[in-house]
Amino acid sequence: MLLDVRGEMCPYPAMRTKQTLKGLANGEALEVLTDHPPALATVPFEGARQGYEADIDPLGPGEWRITLRKVATSYDPKAVMQRVSARLAELEVEA
Amino acid sequence: MTAPAARSRPFPPVLPVSQPLLGFAALALAGLLLALFAQQQAAASVYWLIGLGFGFILQRSRLCFAGAFRDLLLSRDGRLMRAILLGLLIATAGFSLFMARLVPDPSIGGLPPAAHVLPVGLHLVVGGLAFGIGMVLAGGCVSGTLFRVGEGYVGSMVALLGILAGLEVAAHTWNWWWQVHIGQAPLLWLPQLLGHGGAVALTFGALAAAYLLVLWVESGAPPALAFKRQAAPPAVGFRDRLQALEHRIFVRGWPAGVGGAALGVLNLGSYVYDHPLGVTGQLSSWSDRLAGLLGLSAPPLLGVDRFAGCNLALGDGGWLNATFTLEVGLVAGAFIAALLASEFKLRVPRQRLRYAQFLGGGVLMGYGAGIGIGCTIGAFFSALPSLALSAWVFAPSLLAGAFLGVQVIKRLP
Repeated sequence: MLLDVRGEMCPYPAMRTKQTLKGLANGEALEVLTDHPPALATVPFEGARQGYEADIDPLGPGEWRITLRKVATSYDPKAVMQRVSARLAELEVEA
Repeated sequence: MTAPAARSRPFPPVLPVSQPLLGFAALALAGLLLALFAQQQAAASVYWLIGLGFGFILQRSRLCFAGAFRDLLLSRDGRLMRAILLGLLIATAGFSLFMARLVPDPSIGGLPPAAHVLPVGLHLVVGGLAFGIGMVLAGGCVSGTLFRVGEGYVGSMVALLGILAGLEVAAHTWNWWWQVHIGQAPLLWLPQLLGHGGAVALTFGALAAAYLLVLWVESGAPPALAFKRQAAPPAVGFRDRLQALEHRIFVRGWPAGVGGAALGVLNLGSYVYDHPLGVTGQLSSWSDRLAGLLGLSAPPLLGVDRFAGCNLALGDGGWLNATFTLEVGLVAGAFIAALLASEFKLRVPRQRLRYAQFLGGGVLMGYGAGIGIGCTIGAFFSALPSLALSAWVFAPSLLAGAFLGVQVIKRLP
């Protein structure tokens, strides 16, 4: 599913993500489009709280795609956060 | 999943020239203006630099005072609030030493010049509540709105109009507030009551208690909200290291704590030079000037010369002054920082409701800052290190206002 929150600023990207994840079919991934840099921190947090892992791709100046995928069974939030922060470091983005 | 770009509505195209290149051009222009201001008035050029630094720090660290209050209440996320508490600690250490030099014996009754020691009273509660609701609705406080204007947020430009309108409404009601309440409200400077040492100890203790409270709130959230910084790739040789440094400063966002600490130091620098940081006083003179064009300028304001801070001002002063260059510098600094990081973008809200929300939030903030004698900067980030009791009345009111604001945005589509 796609959630386009470009143009929106905090707290809406994370709030919308939270709402959308709740209505998502089991196993479906969510792609969040955002142009709000602080959302790179808040959206993966929201995902991790509900058992989703985040991957971030830059789409252009000031635009990113955050892909949230459900982690199979029981998940370790700490490990998920570490993987997200490693990806952020690769992108040279400090969220 | 298919490529989302194909399905989404195209946004305004990115600039045809590389953003960092434009950033350097803007930086050169800022340097030119610095020379120009220096010829006119030394203070204007110094505050131009301080404003540029202010905007640069806020953009790089995404330090958002509204977010600090809001995220703590909305999602038990205290990273921004902890960063601000760190900045307050640093500024308090510096301010208190400087003020102890200005006023060696506080028991005699003198106040340190320019310190933001504001009248303590109900106006701070009303102003803080209005400001707190407004900043959550508008997605940023006054300084947050200004730095987002520099980053290209159209919604923040609308909020700024609201702030100007709210400040003018406050200017029109100021004399009533002054006569019934603010005129009798005492200026309470903690060193006068407790001595320098006692005031500093109490302030440090209260900041530490606030920090622990934030940690406690955060600990109630499912997973830990702390991102661990990854080790940087190994840098070989001077060139690599230089590039890594450049990246860390200009491209990669700063951790919020670095921004908070930098802002604390900047505030101290600003005070040592002339006066602590503040943004709404100058904005109120702009709003009154604009209102004057419509024949709606405010009457002479009672008592605004009785204390120092972000007092409301009429639009009858000259244009080029220190506070004017600070304000414009803040926007310019954020603009330059965003360009250098390739993060500038005209961000247009797609929901019409947002415009009304930001405008209304701005009006509430402007009014709150008018009667509360400052915003999150002037009446909080500068008043608390000034060891003013007023900050400890304004801050909880801001928090309560933010709580109400969060209830509102939870119900908005």
